[in-house]
Amino acid sequence: MTVAQPQEDNLLLEVKDLRTHYPIRKGLFRRVVGHVKAVDGLNFDLRKGDTLGLVGESGCGKTTTGRTLVRLLEPTSGTIRFKDPDLGWVDVDAMSRKEMLPIRRNMQMIFQDPFSSLNPRLTVKSIVAEPLVVNKIASGQELNDRVAELLKVVGLRPEYMSRYPHAFSGGQRQRLGIARALALNPRLIICDEPVSALDVSIQAQVLNLLEDLQSDFDLTYIFIAHDLSVVEHITNRMAVMYVGKLVELAETEALYYTPMHPYAEALMAAVPIPDPRVRERPIRLPGDVANPANPPSGCYFHPRCRYAKDICSQEEPILRELAPDHWVACHLAEDLSLRGVMGGQAGD
Amino acid sequence: MESHAPNQAQTTEVPKTILSIKDLHTYFYTVVGVARALNGVSLDVPYGKVLGVVGESGCGKSVTALSAMRLVLPPGKIIQGSITLNKIRKQGDFYQVVDEIDITGLDPHGSKIRSIRGSDIAMIFQEPMTSLNPSYTVGNQIIEAILLHQEVSEDEARDRAINILRRVELPNADAAVDRYPHELSGGMRQRAMIAMALSCTPSLLIADEPTTALDVTTEAEILELMRELQAQMGMTTMFITHNLGVVAQTCDYVAVMYLGRVVERAPIDDIFYNPHHPYTRALLRSIPRIGKRTKQRLEPIRGVVPDPYSRVSGCPFHDRCSDYMPGTCDVNVPAMTTLPDNPEHQVRCFLHSEATEGEPR
Repeated sequence: MTVAQPQEDNLLLEVKDLRTHYPIRKGLFRRVVGHVKAVDGLNFDLRKGDTLGLVGESGCGKTTTGRTLVRLLEPTSGTIRFKDPDLGWVDVDAMSRKEMLPIRRNMQMIFQDPFSSLNPRLTVKSIVAEPLVVNKIASGQELNDRVAELLKVVGLRPEYMSRYPHAFSGGQRQRLGIARALALNPRLIICDEPVSALDVSIQAQVLNLLEDLQSDFDLTYIFIAHDLSVVEHITNRMAVMYVGKLVELAETEALYYTPMHPYAEALMAAVPIPDPRVRERPIRLPGDVANPANPPSGCYFHPRCRYAKDICSQEEPILRELAPDHWVACHLAEDLSLRGVMGGQAGD
Repeated sequence: MESHAPNQAQTTEVPKTILSIKDLHTYFYTVVGVARALNGVSLDVPYGKVLGVVGESGCGKSVTALSAMRLVLPPGKIIQGSITLNKIRKQGDFYQVVDEIDITGLDPHGSKIRSIRGSDIAMIFQEPMTSLNPSYTVGNQIIEAILLHQEVSEDEARDRAINILRRVELPNADAAVDRYPHELSGGMRQRAMIAMALSCTPSLLIADEPTTALDVTTEAEILELMRELQAQMGMTTMFITHNLGVVAQTCDYVAVMYLGRVVERAPIDDIFYNPHHPYTRALLRSIPRIGKRTKQRLEPIRGVVPDPYSRVSGCPFHDRCSDYMPGTCDVNVPAMTTLPDNPEHQVRCFLHSEATEGEPR
């Protein structure tokens, strides 16, 4: 796949210096004594039709990023620009609650746990219809028809409409979550670990469904996941996060086979390859993930990095474009030759 | 049958199995019906090797392990079958089966099984936070296990605990021994769990999804650690997981389970390069694989796993199988058969043998 340089009319989302900090409160007066910098200065663009993978270890800010983008969480600073099909470019970060309503029609979310993201007291019909009702798009028979159609699209039978979520398996529930996200015909869907709660055979069904929907409805995905095999399969671009920052952003294939950031290298080397003839030793990362409330100086990764030099503990690296559409935040990136997944060798 | 008297000293060069499960049925009698979690599991755990047990949730992987430890609690019950533990002692180059214990015959609360748990068979669980006691230090919990099974003084038990923590590469073991579980990270907790399981040098380690709750980099480190310990101690491991990548990276043999039965068992290479059961094949085709540059579409397995309360006639996989033969697969249960060209490869499918198992049920 060749990459066109990001062009304005091709873009759907533009994120600049996005920060989401959670206050830490202590004492009788709940004074703010510090901040957990869950998302700490993200910059990236999202093109139409892309599937951008967002990976990193737990606590690195993937989910916070996803939720901030649709304003389920308030950003601390930075801008999120979204190209709404009706309104044109809008600053999502500056919108009021009321102004967000029409914009959110085009930005939807699918959640990880299909057991807790569906209200057990509502029927399937009310769950899937809720976005349509809230936005006063359909009612009565029209609403019924629309829900039936949505269920069909995600591969469920319309007769199931009057059932409750408990009557469905995990995979079917995730389909319901997808139907709900599709109800308003959105442009962007943020999928937060959509398949990690599912069994392998069911996971494939949902991944295929997401791929089909993408081509049928012209969708753009941000795909948050920790399973790197799934991410490689479904995404065409990928961003690696470490303690609230992007450390590498590139086309998926480039990131897997020629990573440029030492953290991405360790991540790729850790993927358990389902092939007994390829057994590799992982790269050990000493110590623990940095504390986002009190990150180390310079590059956040330097205490665990096996290539670290003096500069790494003193200066914070910025995300820069080292190869076409391959962005890295590492001082030493030019001088390192890092190992990709399967030793950089693509299999058959 | 309590336990056999020590057998006539059978001295062999390499013993075959350490744990032998035969036709094990474990049912759960719940208010909504009987859940037939295990429907005749037969499985031999080869001595000194790592046996992977894979399958989707509800296939009975964990219940098999819990049955072997006699940790199945009411309303669950082992209703049929046997689990035999061979106590093996190594003398020089020779191995001797010193005792054969029928675990299913033991009282689950009795002293016999309690002496086996921890010292002969130890278990690592998925979530280290829920399996470590939050109100005792890590050291305390390891020392407790050592004092329970070995005749040593408390000081010596503490030294052993520190040693074993070093062995699992817990950073700063001298201090970590006095830490509470919440003071450790997920990976460190799992190391502490492994240390506890290894503290009495069990001959069989059952690891139930030991890395599922961990991040990918931590997972790789724990797997590496388990591989190293395995090589050093020659311990037999039964590794339960749903992740085929983890299986490929750690196991010597694999047993694939589906709906309470083992459907295929083979050396690791045969499972990945020469799978025979349609379920194993389908499972391998349905996972995204890194390294296939041409993005192939995944082939999901149609349908869902039947719920364990229902009874499926014939082969339990027949309604999802792409090679379903009406009149055969839905009537009789195929028997586990050894492939003619590979004595280590067994499969339970009518494509490979016409042998049936018992009466249709």
